[in-house]
Amino acid sequence: MLEIKNIYKAFGNNEVLKGVSLKVEKGDVVVILGPSGSGKTTLLRSIDFLEKADAGEIIFDDIHAEFARISKKTISQIRKKTAFVFQNYNLFHNKTALQNVTEGLIIARKLPKEKAIEIGKRALDKVGLSERYDYYPSQLSGGQQQRVGIARAIAVNPDIILFDEPTSALDPELIGEVLGVMKELAKEGTTMIVVTHEMHFAQDVANRVVFMDGGRVVEEGTPDEMFSRPKEERTRQFLRRILPDFDYVI
Amino acid sequence: MELNTKFMIETFFDALAGIPVTLKLTLITLLVSAPIAFFMALGKIEKRKIAGKLISGYVSFIRGTPVVLQILFLYSLLPTLLNYLVKDVLGLSFNVFQLDTILYAYIVFVLNTTAVLSEVFRSALLTVGHGQMETALTIGMTKRQAYIRIIIPQAVVSALPNICNATIGLLKSTSLAFMMSVQDVTAIAKVKAAYGYNYIEAYLDICFVYIVLCSAIQLVFKLIERYACAYKKSSRTKGGALYARNKEYI
Ligand SMILES: Nc1ncnc2c1ncn2[C@@H]1O[C@H](COP(=O)(O)OP(=O)(O)OP(=O)(O)O)[C@@H](O)[C@H]1O
Ligand SMILES: [Mg+2]
Repeated sequence: MLEIKNIYKAFGNNEVLKGVSLKVEKGDVVVILGPSGSGKTTLLRSIDFLEKADAGEIIFDDIHAEFARISKKTISQIRKKTAFVFQNYNLFHNKTALQNVTEGLIIARKLPKEKAIEIGKRALDKVGLSERYDYYPSQLSGGQQQRVGIARAIAVNPDIILFDEPTSALDPELIGEVLGVMKELAKEGTTMIVVTHEMHFAQDVANRVVFMDGGRVVEEGTPDEMFSRPKEERTRQFLRRILPDFDYVI
Repeated sequence: MELNTKFMIETFFDALAGIPVTLKLTLITLLVSAPIAFFMALGKIEKRKIAGKLISGYVSFIRGTPVVLQILFLYSLLPTLLNYLVKDVLGLSFNVFQLDTILYAYIVFVLNTTAVLSEVFRSALLTVGHGQMETALTIGMTKRQAYIRIIIPQAVVSALPNICNATIGLLKSTSLAFMMSVQDVTAIAKVKAAYGYNYIEAYLDICFVYIVLCSAIQLVFKLIERYACAYKKSSRTKGGALYARNKEYI
């Protein structure tokens, strides 16, 4: 469904992505792991054109384009098929929870207002915020804000949702409610790419785990393969550091 | 020394007659400057290279020179220049020296206020944070839609205190219009004072009028702020909105 081929991206002299390829099928939950600075965020942002990648190809259903020569029209087509959930929520501060969700529907997708509100309410219900339609972001907890962020993403009915560390700005006691919503989405067959440090989420929910380091994909496989039988030494080092009780089968 | 209270009271009421001119100078200057300043701020933020350089140059020039000096320059230079343009270049028989001198006052104050406001708007646009712009793009809004619906409404609210300061600064600097023989509050009182050397009384009158005017402006802005800040008013915690806003910088 979505395929990224050999994507390159440098910030000045700093090469951040050095030929990353990634293939996502419909219904996949792909978790991307990797140490800080390995280029995970940059990869996700490049897929949604928040960063302009220097080279590489993107194939999205019947769209086939090169990052270096992509037209505004293609960008907008691909953005219509994707949604992004940010680490720091990025809600519109001047809009209520419901308006945050309906804004894209009404303004970008030109849905009639009543229809948008109906969809928006359904999305907020789904993330457990039926009581918070008219709250402004400043009146919501971090977990609630992030759930609005997820509602905003699912409301546009995207083919794929990109999550960039959706829980890492949250207090520990709020992480569960957000992961719970994401698990629910996964169960319903939502296609997602998730950058996260939540290993349990990776183990339980992902059907593919990708380990990135230094701007490259070092290794990828099923959670079982990756967590019990990682092939690469760098993967093992990373897992040992992040999972104190990590114990792999040789 | 004794104050001539009779003179003081009389002159006070005479000076009141100058209020419309003072307010007119302030208001029209604001109305002309604000839109220009806004587009200058936008030009700088959107990194239009040449425009950005020009704007920076203009702003530092205006801010680096005393208003009094600008008035002296313009007032002695502009009429001659205009006269040359009209008579010798355009070949018209129009007498430039008959123009209302308030025109020169407007030019000086617009030049100054535009510079001040462009910086006010620029920092206000920056406080909204790039994250909300990115979100808007990922949900399919255009940059223009994002500015109009998300960024500008918040920027205006956060700029209000500084716009208030700029307005008060402007109102006070309009007192310099007397140098261009504009009959504002200051000019009227000064002329009265000159008859009998009652300068102190006249200055106290002027002082009093400006204090009242400035207080009124502050009050008006307080009311606007209260109305415009509806989305931050009922933060869950005190200063919650502020916290949420600053977070984007971390
Ligand atoms: N806008 C930018 N300008 C310059 N350098 C950048 C920019 N964004 C990211 N980088 C650099 O790119 C590298 C990869 O950053 P990226 O955010 O993709 O890493 P990450 O894997 O998401 O890390 P983390 O786990 O800490 O979020 C870093 O060295 C970072 O300094
Ligand atoms: Mg990151």
